[in-house]
Amino acid sequence: MKKIAVAVALAFAATGAMAQEKTIRITGFGAKSGVVRSFGINSEAAMLAAADVINKQGGVKLADGSKAKIVVDFLDDRCNAEEGISVLRRIYGTDAVVAVGPTCSNVAEPLFGILQKKVDDKGDSGLQMPVFTDVAIKVGLAKISEWAFRNVPNETTMYSSLFYWLKTKYPNAKTVFGGVEEDFAHSRASWYAVMKDRAEANGYQVLGNSKWLLNDTNFATQVREMKNANADIVAISAHPFTTCGVLKEMQRQGVKPKVLVGLTSSSSLETLQGCAKQAEGMIIPTSFAPITKEGKAAAETTAKFKGAADLHSMAAWENMFILKQVIESEKISGDKGQLQADRRKIRDGLAKLRETKGLMGVTKRTEDREADKPYLFVQASKGEWKVLHNPL
Amino acid sequence: MLDFLQAVSDGLLFGATYALIGIGFTLVFGVMHKLNLAYAAASIGAAYAGLLILQVAAGAPPWAVFLCAFLGGGVIGWLVYLTCFHFIPLSNPLAPLMSTVGMLLLIDEIIVHVTAGMPQNYPAMFDDVMLRVGEFTLRGDLLLVAGVSVVCMIALLALLYRTRLGLATRAVSQQPVAAQLCGIRVAQVNAMTFIVTGLLGGIAGALIGASVGALSPLLTTPLTVKGLIVTVIGGLGSIPGAIVAGLLVGAFENVFQQFRGVTERDLYVMLLLFAFLVFRPSGLFKP
Repeated sequence: MKKIAVAVALAFAATGAMAQEKTIRITGFGAKSGVVRSFGINSEAAMLAAADVINKQGGVKLADGSKAKIVVDFLDDRCNAEEGISVLRRIYGTDAVVAVGPTCSNVAEPLFGILQKKVDDKGDSGLQMPVFTDVAIKVGLAKISEWAFRNVPNETTMYSSLFYWLKTKYPNAKTVFGGVEEDFAHSRASWYAVMKDRAEANGYQVLGNSKWLLNDTNFATQVREMKNANADIVAISAHPFTTCGVLKEMQRQGVKPKVLVGLTSSSSLETLQGCAKQAEGMIIPTSFAPITKEGKAAAETTAKFKGAADLHSMAAWENMFILKQVIESEKISGDKGQLQADRRKIRDGLAKLRETKGLMGVTKRTEDREADKPYLFVQASKGEWKVLHNPL
Repeated sequence: MLDFLQAVSDGLLFGATYALIGIGFTLVFGVMHKLNLAYAAASIGAAYAGLLILQVAAGAPPWAVFLCAFLGGGVIGWLVYLTCFHFIPLSNPLAPLMSTVGMLLLIDEIIVHVTAGMPQNYPAMFDDVMLRVGEFTLRGDLLLVAGVSVVCMIALLALLYRTRLGLATRAVSQQPVAAQLCGIRVAQVNAMTFIVTGLLGGIAGALIGASVGALSPLLTTPLTVKGLIVTVIGGLGSIPGAIVAGLLVGAFENVFQQFRGVTERDLYVMLLLFAFLVFRPSGLFKP
């Protein structure tokens, strides 16, 4: 009888402890339906995996010295701007201290627009919610709001470095021809504002570009333009589905440039699953490859949560550890009554960061709340992305 | 000039994929006077179903995948009939239309959820065959699609005009009440129409997958739109019309793209549709 009483008392004590266990909610959001669903799945898996690692290590330390577990939610914005804005408003209404997302640049741009532009601007009724982006990569979006932060690679730096390296590696290559997925914000911006611009800055003559749409399946005309241009380098700024379509058509029409350059987002398994043979030799700059001990461990843990590790999902992983650091350094209370103050502290903490520890090394943070991440060049070779060159 | 001819021929051949989808749309409309907006999605769904055989028997030949898609198409066609037409009050024209829109979205989302939106490789046939005359080329796989479209048209016309099922189908199409009074089971004929168009859709989906080299949920909406345009331009209910219009739309699309660019291409295809609706509403071939 005495034993039962002790057991009951212990059970009650445990229940009490459970009830008192503090939590910090971090809500991810991104595309979990539609054709970019894999991005959302991978980001969610990476966030859950990172939270699991953090929680197993005891969680995050709060202002009062107690520990809190991280709780991760993930909402679907369908890669749709209206949906994204609605999701962020919903997150704002919860006890989430920070939002991580979105997947698509066409969501990020208007979504950052509903945030308060400048902190402490009493005349601006925009949302005061820190958003820490992991995937949406279109150049220069964080400057829209002081509540927006990004941990995405800087494509301008990466392609500048790539074209500079190509200049030394292939001195006979003088001309570039582009292929661009015209109706997708990231692909479009990456060609016109990044690849084309950086190629010209490195002394290449850009002969022109072909355009196609995200759901096109016939690329005969575009590849003929490419063939007629006969450029030394063909740079394709498109996502895996149309990249593969174009590469297959290039094979049919016998278009064989000296160098094939791809878009950062195409350095994924999807491209290799779709057209490994045709993509052979394609060079892409990326901010993640599982070459470090931490990178390999992150990829393995994310796989346990049914996600794939790539430059996008591993940014979500990094975000979780950066947020842990900020929560602890800024002394977040974790008290629901102090929610808005905690959000502000997280914003200020993120803004203060000058560098963060990433899976590939140290990431520098810029004044306009963007990241300058370490990167390397990978090349498609025998159905795998292999590290071709590490410029850093 | 060569570029223009090449654009026209590429478009004509690619238009064969539109023709295959158009045939399915037009057949259902011809029999039931209803639009099945889920047809293209069901066809792509059937093509995905074809890939299931690779889960059971890895390394199965392309013909086995195609056969599986063909049969899967029949099953999906029947399911579409049951869910979108059989239990829906057909007297309200909006009801089956909206139910097929729902089915389109449902099939799309099922594909997205099962595949995480990732394109799936599809076994190709004759993809390495290129007929060349100097600089002028014709894709072997698209020639196959065009050939299959013609064979499907002949087979369907034979089915409609040389078999008892075809006779019953035409009777239901023209006078459903009279057909019922003659002892024809209208529901059964309608179900058979969906199964036949589903089987055809399975072939269409598989051939489209083979010619693109991959399947993606991105294919369903454009094929639905193009299939409808082809059906209207060809003449609602006309099978030869669907084929001719499919090739025509493909060719126009490529020519518009050549001269006006990809961003204006679909604009001109839509203008072509409006021109037909205004000046020749019955389409190229009045059924």
